[in-house]
Amino acid sequence: MPAIDIMSVSVIYATSFAILLVGYLAAISSKDVIRLLISLELMFGAVFMALIPLFSVAFLANTAFGIAIITIFTSSGELLVLISAITILDKQKKDIHTSAITIGGDRV
Amino acid sequence: MLLLSALVGAAVLFSLGVLLSKDNFYASLFMSITLVFVASVYALFDLQPVFVLIVFIFVGAIGIVTVALAATYRAAPERQFSWVWTLPVVITAFVIGFSIYRLTPQSAYSSTFEFELINFISATEPITEPLLLILFLMSLVVLLLLSVLKIGIGGTES
Repeated sequence: MPAIDIMSVSVIYATSFAILLVGYLAAISSKDVIRLLISLELMFGAVFMALIPLFSVAFLANTAFGIAIITIFTSSGELLVLISAITILDKQKKDIHTSAITIGGDRV
Repeated sequence: MLLLSALVGAAVLFSLGVLLSKDNFYASLFMSITLVFVASVYALFDLQPVFVLIVFIFVGAIGIVTVALAATYRAAPERQFSWVWTLPVVITAFVIGFSIYRLTPQSAYSSTFEFELINFISATEPITEPLLLILFLMSLVVLLLLSVLKIGIGGTES
């Protein structure tokens, strides 16, 4: 299997951090829950990218693959729950803006 | 290294497209492309099982549902973004980045690591454990998807 040097690991971590930051910014600046869902998926993409160097450690490769599988499926499940929550919110409030959520959370 | 830089550069550029796009539909498309590029980095390092899982499960199932949802609710272009906070954020990011740059010692070693995924997926023995794990998790996602479909059709009244 191909090797990975320390420079590639640095590039991968920097990219992962950049995508995570973009996801955070998109989540903070979003006004509707669809944009929130998109930014969450972007954050999970950053997490997937941060897992790559874990595969390079020989005795951690199998654990890394297990972690990757569980991360992919649990994040998919979490996003499905969020999609169903968006559907319920639209059914009840007829609105998908975050301002429509008036119960729970902090008011700023 | 060049191919890796090109892939991660494209991923970052498309993720910036998510942030800058005003339409939810195009933002979700950019997000899907970013995730495909992230999966391509796995393929670059010969980790095809993870590439397949990300592209087919995460992008293929969840991403497409998100794109469909964003295409339904695409007329919500307004965002909350205060330009007043831009300068403090940039200054803080610069200070944090510079302090990390100064504090982190330069790496003295430059070694190469070998990817080893041969024990998890063996070519000779039947793959039972990862297959079982994937099957269980897949059934969990299918169950969740069924409940989402039930809610979408209108099963919340009962």
